[in-house]
Amino acid sequence: MRSLGVLAFVFALTLGSPRAQAQAPTTKSGDAGTASVANGKRAFVSAGCVACHGPKGEGTASGIQIAPPPLELPALISYVRQPTGKMPPFGTGVVSDQQLSDIYAFLESVAPPPSAAESLTGNSDNGKKLFAAYGCFECHGRQGAGASTGPRIGPPAISFAAVLRYVRAPSGQMPPYTAKVVSDQDLADIYTYLKSLAPPARAADIPLLNQ
Amino acid sequence: MVDVLKSLNFEYLCANPGNSFRSLHESLINYGGNRVPEFITCCHEESSVAMGHGYAKIEGKPLLVCVHGTVGLQHASMAIYDAFCDRVPVYIVLGNFGDTAERFGQVDWTHSAQDPAAMIRDYVKWDDRPVSLQGFSESAVRAYKIATTPPMMPVALVADHELQEYAVADGANLSVPKVTMTSPPVGDSGAVTEVARLLVAAENPVLVTDRVARTPAGLAGLIELAETLQAPVLDRNGRMNFPTRHPLNHTERSGPAIANADVIVGLELTDFWSTVNSVQGQVNPVVRPAVKPGTKLVSITANDLYIKSNYQDFQRYAAVDLAIAADAEATLPSLIDAVKRQITDDRKHTFADRGAKLATAHTQAMQAGREAATSGWDASPISTARMSSEIWAQIKDEDWSLVSNCQFVSRWPLRLWDFNKHYHYIGGEGGYGVGYGAPAAVGAALANRKHGRLTISIQNDGDLMFAPGVLWTAAHHRIPLLIVMHNNRAYHQELMQVQIMADRHNRGITNASIGSVLVDPPIDYSKLAQGMGVHAEGPISDPKDLAPAIRRAIAVVKGGDPALVDVLTQPR
Repeated sequence: MRSLGVLAFVFALTLGSPRAQAQAPTTKSGDAGTASVANGKRAFVSAGCVACHGPKGEGTASGIQIAPPPLELPALISYVRQPTGKMPPFGTGVVSDQQLSDIYAFLESVAPPPSAAESLTGNSDNGKKLFAAYGCFECHGRQGAGASTGPRIGPPAISFAAVLRYVRAPSGQMPPYTAKVVSDQDLADIYTYLKSLAPPARAADIPLLNQ
Repeated sequence: MVDVLKSLNFEYLCANPGNSFRSLHESLINYGGNRVPEFITCCHEESSVAMGHGYAKIEGKPLLVCVHGTVGLQHASMAIYDAFCDRVPVYIVLGNFGDTAERFGQVDWTHSAQDPAAMIRDYVKWDDRPVSLQGFSESAVRAYKIATTPPMMPVALVADHELQEYAVADGANLSVPKVTMTSPPVGDSGAVTEVARLLVAAENPVLVTDRVARTPAGLAGLIELAETLQAPVLDRNGRMNFPTRHPLNHTERSGPAIANADVIVGLELTDFWSTVNSVQGQVNPVVRPAVKPGTKLVSITANDLYIKSNYQDFQRYAAVDLAIAADAEATLPSLIDAVKRQITDDRKHTFADRGAKLATAHTQAMQAGREAATSGWDASPISTARMSSEIWAQIKDEDWSLVSNCQFVSRWPLRLWDFNKHYHYIGGEGGYGVGYGAPAAVGAALANRKHGRLTISIQNDGDLMFAPGVLWTAAHHRIPLLIVMHNNRAYHQELMQVQIMADRHNRGITNASIGSVLVDPPIDYSKLAQGMGVHAEGPISDPKDLAPAIRRAIAVVKGGDPALVDVLTQPR
């Protein structure tokens, strides 16, 4: 088969977004400590999050599981304002920073308890070998830098638990990988390898990207 | 026959020799003086047709391709299909020994057919097998008109050897008919007025383009329409439709733009259905509408005027609200006029506000692209973003033309370079047939040569291996072309597909490379090119070595010859 139909790997939530973290607002309006779970539950419905992510953020065919939240609150706010995947942007007129803070608290409150697999310790050297052997590089690049076929995942900005959930039941174009194919320990090793990679420079600091 | 073909003003003839058109070959180079058309020696019929494909997208008209009977046409067939899907005119003359009593050797029989064009009839616009010289004359002119009337497609004309070789009878009354080009079909005025009404009234209109700009007028017209409406353009890049750095180019934020649209106008949009629907998941895919309920969908395309059955390039049926069967580029002037007539001062203010917001969103999307390009900037193998940036640094002040498909390098040139002229980009294969890239680039470079443009191709390694002989053609005919290899040492698209299937079948994912990678031994494209007389360097794996190698290669190209830089790259 010589078809070149392009695989448009689009994720509801990109797995590598340290830039989003770096640009996140630091205002206290995003402080989960002052957030209301009850308000968050209401805002989760009124802002339309449930349509893609399910009533308790458990995920659907259209959106990934987001309970517990895969990003820190500031990064999540940045992402919601300016998403890079399939998700449309949500401005402050639709859902305020305070409401996102409430939603964050709600998602933490309804999150299932962490599994034993989520606390595994990984081996970076083995992860590097597995990243190549398992063909992760095919869509994400040999250093996880991302491409049109898959987002940047090196270094990942989301938790290992979120990666584990996504790989087993992805919502985008990525196929699901069972534990028979990639074990939890393998994934922990790959995650540790990706975490060891240096984050990219800023475009402003690269002259070739300013021409 | 030569007089007829000369009347059609073909600049070049691309062919490898074949005895079924030996007489026409000889007549063209001797009686015809090997001028208009000039014979371009090719090494594969697939290369001949693909060169014509690339040439036509730059020059706006076909060149002549001669193809040997049966086996030659079998070689050519994939390239013909690509041109058919890409709506590009290629003019093919097909040799044949029609009269069985005139076949004197075994090959005359094995390379002849009762109906030679039958195997390609499903993917040419028209074919004929004239039985007299006067019939050939009229069919040849008719074929040219048909091929170059939108929707443009390849045509094939069988030239039996009896017509080619026998002397013209004394007193034969032969003539060459005048070729009168057919004006392209323009949209019905009432329907165009209705589209304009929808666009002017819309709060969030979106224009989606694919193969609109056949000529520079298409590019200019689309800019005028978008600016008049202050409407975003999402370019599927089948042609150079819209400047990449224009504030209304929102290709990089297509998802939100489609989701927010209340009117979507597809202009020569091949796959409307996928534009307004979302398919998620490789396994058990889920289909959802990508648009809001009530969004008005309008299609303007010449594809509605001509469709074939067997080969299904027409894509899934799109349930639009208004379909105009017309050439979009030819319809743009009347659509722009209709829009201008309906705009009130109140709407102008609304449009200005919308334009300001769109300009901000465009800037943010472009910046996001630059930030994404930083990933793996210093990696080895070299990232396709870095390679694209290094090329851009060397060509941005030249009169350049990129003639390769950007899809395979994550669209980085389209995201990072400043495309604003009609020859800056020519789209892709059309039918996604591998083997198009190298010969189409050489054909496009041939068209660019007389204009003095610096032609660049980012060449996929797997594609080049289908018919690398076109490198020799470029060297022999001194066709200046900068070839930068995207050498990921794999048929990478298929590697991903096999991986997905291995995963779907839950059989482990460590064997996906079997049958899909080009290693052990790695192919030395530099030596391959040098062996055919092309300046070449590489393989280059350190990004710091790229700029000097590209500069040296450009110097060769500016001297009038092709040059190749082999770059070891990330997969995409």
